[in-house]
Amino acid sequence: MNFQNLMRTAIRSLGRNKMRSALTSLGVIIGVASVIMMVGIGNSARVAVREKIFTYGSNAMGVESKKRTFTMSDVEAMKRAIPSIKFISPMVGKTQVTAKYQGAILYSRIRGVNNDFFKIKEWPLKYGRYFTEQEILSREKIVVLGNTLLDELFGSINPVGKVMLINNIPFQVIGCLAESGQAFSGKDQDNLIVMPYTTAMVKISGRNVFNEIFISTFNEQMVEKTEASVRSFIREDRGLAPGTPDDFNITTSKEQLQMAEYISQTLAMLLAGIASISLIVGGIGIMNIMLVSVSERTREIGIRMAIGAKKSDILLQFLIEAVSLSSSGGTVGIIIGLGVYYAITVGVGWDFLFSTFSVVVAFLFSCAVGVFFGYYPARKASNLKPIDALRYE
Amino acid sequence: MRDKVIDIQNLVKTYQISEEVSVHALRGISLTIARGEFVAIMGASGSGKSTLMNILGFLDTHTSGKYILDGVDGIALDENQKAEIRNRKIGFVFQGFNLLSRTSALENVELPMMYRGDAEPREMKRKARELLAMVGLAGREHHHPNRLSGGEQQRVAIARSLINDPAIILADEPTGNLDTKNSDEVMKIFTRLNKETGITIILVTHEPDVANYTDRKVVFRDGQIMEDAPIAKAAPRPGRKRP
Ligand SMILES: Nc1ncnc2c1ncn2[C@@H]1O[C@H](COP(=O)(O)OP(=O)(O)OP(=O)(O)O)[C@@H](O)[C@H]1O
Ligand SMILES: [Mg+2]
Repeated sequence: MNFQNLMRTAIRSLGRNKMRSALTSLGVIIGVASVIMMVGIGNSARVAVREKIFTYGSNAMGVESKKRTFTMSDVEAMKRAIPSIKFISPMVGKTQVTAKYQGAILYSRIRGVNNDFFKIKEWPLKYGRYFTEQEILSREKIVVLGNTLLDELFGSINPVGKVMLINNIPFQVIGCLAESGQAFSGKDQDNLIVMPYTTAMVKISGRNVFNEIFISTFNEQMVEKTEASVRSFIREDRGLAPGTPDDFNITTSKEQLQMAEYISQTLAMLLAGIASISLIVGGIGIMNIMLVSVSERTREIGIRMAIGAKKSDILLQFLIEAVSLSSSGGTVGIIIGLGVYYAITVGVGWDFLFSTFSVVVAFLFSCAVGVFFGYYPARKASNLKPIDALRYE
Repeated sequence: MRDKVIDIQNLVKTYQISEEVSVHALRGISLTIARGEFVAIMGASGSGKSTLMNILGFLDTHTSGKYILDGVDGIALDENQKAEIRNRKIGFVFQGFNLLSRTSALENVELPMMYRGDAEPREMKRKARELLAMVGLAGREHHHPNRLSGGEQQRVAIARSLINDPAIILADEPTGNLDTKNSDEVMKIFTRLNKETGITIILVTHEPDVANYTDRKVVFRDGQIMEDAPIAKAAPRPGRKRP
């Protein structure tokens, strides 16, 4: 029998048991939908993380030294010695400070920096302005707030010119940063108070040394070379003998990016793996129903054989039925999966990334499920002896 | 002498029920049927008639002996070749009609031609319609079996058996499920086919009235042929009109 007729025969016999066919496909529908969804979410998450890390600045790096400290003369010497450094800022940090304004209170963290900090972070202002060099020199009690403080303490009203208390010391607000969102780690990046490092040394930390330095280079290609230069500069400065480990840490966005990519990729694969188990369960559902169908239709098979159907005709008929079930389930699953994925991206605010590749793979895979799980029942049908099939009650 | 369509020598069929128990359904039958014959096979229930028909139709295999259909020895054929013979050389008509349910009369008739594989769709439709008209079912092409009477279903089955121009028609109790009127109708169609197209027909029946339509009667008992004789056409019974 030719393919077109086989196809028509298969579709018709599926149509006879619409409810059963629909329920049989359900397993594959759910399987394919969840695979499509998981792969999509995994991709979107990766893109979202990438963007987040790039807002930190793709040509930025941070130097952290917990045990030994840096001074401003270290920063200046480093800038002079390494020409590929474009911006460099000290970071006088303190966490768990109380920020108060008119009875509202919030725990936040302080970053005492110079104006290069904003350029390294590529962080635009929502209100007000950055510091002036004069203000840094004269240790003015001024702050630029992260967006969370604006929302929590000022009810989203322009806070420029207002005076607030930080660890019970009054500070004047001169600016407010644009929203940046959560970091990949889940930390709220917008809950921070930025002030001149000079002020932070005097009013907050009480010492003129610090543990962190932010650096940016002129472009992404220079990052690696600059990292090496910074490393050897500090080692030399501290007189570390060759072979001894660093007593400081340099973190680049590239490393963070790789880490984040690795995590999200592993996560996406894990999710897709779990989802594909449901596809297999769906396949077993198809096999089960096809076996029932073969024994119900033994007589029909006998009639077909009596009038000249070959083994291969019967095999193909049932195989096509199984593949029709699984591939139509796959198609519906793809549509549902894309729909749910789209809804989630809209809800979370991620990009919707349509991947033709994953749709095609999902469809082919659902066909393969039909072939794989339909083969045994179809084989069983085609191996019936004509006379036994015909006599079957 | 006309050529032989069926040539059987010493045909034996034994069903092995268990190691000790076996049923001897056919105990060494020899029978030849020439092209164009119209033969009735009769005999008590369990005498082996259906067993013989199934072997003749390549639906079942015999235990020993020789069977040659239209010059082809079935013993050497594989399943695919047997399917092809069933498809092209044999037309089956069963007691229980055996039409595909929820499939129109026309499509039922077309089915053997579809399995033949070389059918041209328009030619297939035309021929199926022509055959349905021949058995008196013009206009019923799109009815499904559940909307046809037993007699009508059996006529669809006859049309189906003819679509690939087979060498023989094998009919196992084709009138067994029909009343006298429908049974006459079916037998008239068989008779006309035999006379007009010269197709060989072998049918199994319990009813002497049905056998009287044929030209030769083979009677079975306990897996053997008891009697093999022409039917006397000279004396039609009163009150019955011969076709
Ligand atoms: N598949 C089978 N397995 C075992 N025995 C069988 C099988 N088919 C038929 N028989 C036996 O073979 C013998 C002949 O059966 P067959 O069906 O040929 O009889 P029949 O002449 O067609 O009878 P009826 O007129 O009732 O249809 C019977 O004794 C029957 O029980
Ligand atoms: Mg019988």
